[in-house]
Amino acid sequence: MKTAIPIAQLLRWRLALAEAEAPPAPGATRLLELVRPWWEVLPERFEKLIQRLGAIEVAYGHAMAEPSPARPCHRVAVLIARASEESESSARVLYLAVRDRRLRLRFHLEKAPANLPPTVEVTFISEQSGQPLFCAPAAVSVDSEYRLEADLSAELARDWEQLKVMDRMPFRFIVRADTTS
Amino acid sequence: MNSPCALSRVEGASQQYDVAYYRSPASYEAETIAGLSVMDDIESVMRRVASLGSAGAIARKSGKEAAADEYFREALALAIEAVNQAAEGGSTSARLNILRTTALLALECGDVTETRRLIDEAATLDPSTIYADEWAQLRDIAAWTDSWLIAAVRREPPDEAALNLLVDRYWRALFGRCQVLTVDREKALDLAQESWRRMLRARNSLKPGGNFPAYLTTIATNAWRDVHRSARRAGPLAEERLASLDAPLPGEGDETIVLADVLPDLNALSANKQRLLAMDIDRALEQLTPLLRDVIVARFITGESCAEIGRRFNRTEQTVSGWVREAVRIMKGYLEEPDTPPDKKS
Repeated sequence: MKTAIPIAQLLRWRLALAEAEAPPAPGATRLLELVRPWWEVLPERFEKLIQRLGAIEVAYGHAMAEPSPARPCHRVAVLIARASEESESSARVLYLAVRDRRLRLRFHLEKAPANLPPTVEVTFISEQSGQPLFCAPAAVSVDSEYRLEADLSAELARDWEQLKVMDRMPFRFIVRADTTS
Repeated sequence: MNSPCALSRVEGASQQYDVAYYRSPASYEAETIAGLSVMDDIESVMRRVASLGSAGAIARKSGKEAAADEYFREALALAIEAVNQAAEGGSTSARLNILRTTALLALECGDVTETRRLIDEAATLDPSTIYADEWAQLRDIAAWTDSWLIAAVRREPPDEAALNLLVDRYWRALFGRCQVLTVDREKALDLAQESWRRMLRARNSLKPGGNFPAYLTTIATNAWRDVHRSARRAGPLAEERLASLDAPLPGEGDETIVLADVLPDLNALSANKQRLLAMDIDRALEQLTPLLRDVIVARFITGESCAEIGRRFNRTEQTVSGWVREAVRIMKGYLEEPDTPPDKKS
């Protein structure tokens, strides 16, 4: 016997079977654990990195005050954290826009280590308070240029809406090359 | 927020909203029992609460979440004031009405602790509220709307009971979708968890008035696309593949598959046959490139039109129609002749 079955019916039947055989749902506690920010999971590591990042500000003070001749802008202090080492750097913000609470950012990482992976995690640290604001993945496009998009809290969106690339940025970066660093 | 301006923005629309939801006419009874001046004040406050609540509901329904949030918060603050005022001289029924309105607003704001406190206060005032239908939906978290659960999950820290219920409500549907996309149980589990993780990371921007299951499915599909994005952009071979798919295919595709030894009602098959058929479908889906699998799921499971899919991929409706026909052709080739599966399109 041969039966002609519409493909939509066949796929929906498969979907229903998969739903019926779904494994147990993960609990809220486990899911919330998965989204706990790394600075809460690794507080000692964070403390160490934040202190070093604070020191970079002093080290790059001259560079911040003296904009690059190619495109005048303030630089953002960056600490690149890897599993085995940390390195100091800075970033030039090339594009920044906040619309509908969404941040779109493009930056050039100076002196980026050659073997940095194509996607890194960027943690925004408040310039004013030294507290972590949020973190988001950034993907390299060309030549140490990274692109990043992130949803902002209403408060941050309001504060950053008027920011221009020429402004002094209200944040610093901890760039994590892998999520265990 | 400047309240009068905010109200004027929704003037008219708020008139159509069911204000009784926030204020029962029974509250007027209180006037005859308690001091008139106190109840006049409370009534005036509750009228304002009703307006703000209506405005919040309208804003939420139309996706203006920031405005909805502000309306509901302002309404809740005023309603709590009214609860406190009514405690000094209102009748029991008036106080219960105010407590219920306030509990509803607390739910709209995602404030579970405040909701529980108000429910307990009502039960202390009148123990019959424990069994009353109008309090049942507030008391039983399983009866909460998606909107209330999402509002509770959006808060910092998120309410774990609300999150548990939301996950339970949509886990199976999400897992099913992930299984069809990945054609692998372990990968489906990872993808489903990743989808919840992404949702939680972006929970500040959740819209309680939106279509949550559709949002979750979109997250899962995007996460799955992210995995395959590099493959889709993988150099000249991938470009060539897309180019060839752009070319219109001859003839209209027949969107049915002829299966041997299968009943029209697939659920009537024996468990063993169902298992074998599921494996065959999975293998047929595996023959498709990620792009084609994505498209065929969007077309036949989500029910998107070729034009809608085309807009997402920045392609014409005709191109997507070609992709769909190509996917169907490959699946037919595999399922109708399982012994001689066609070469994977690459």
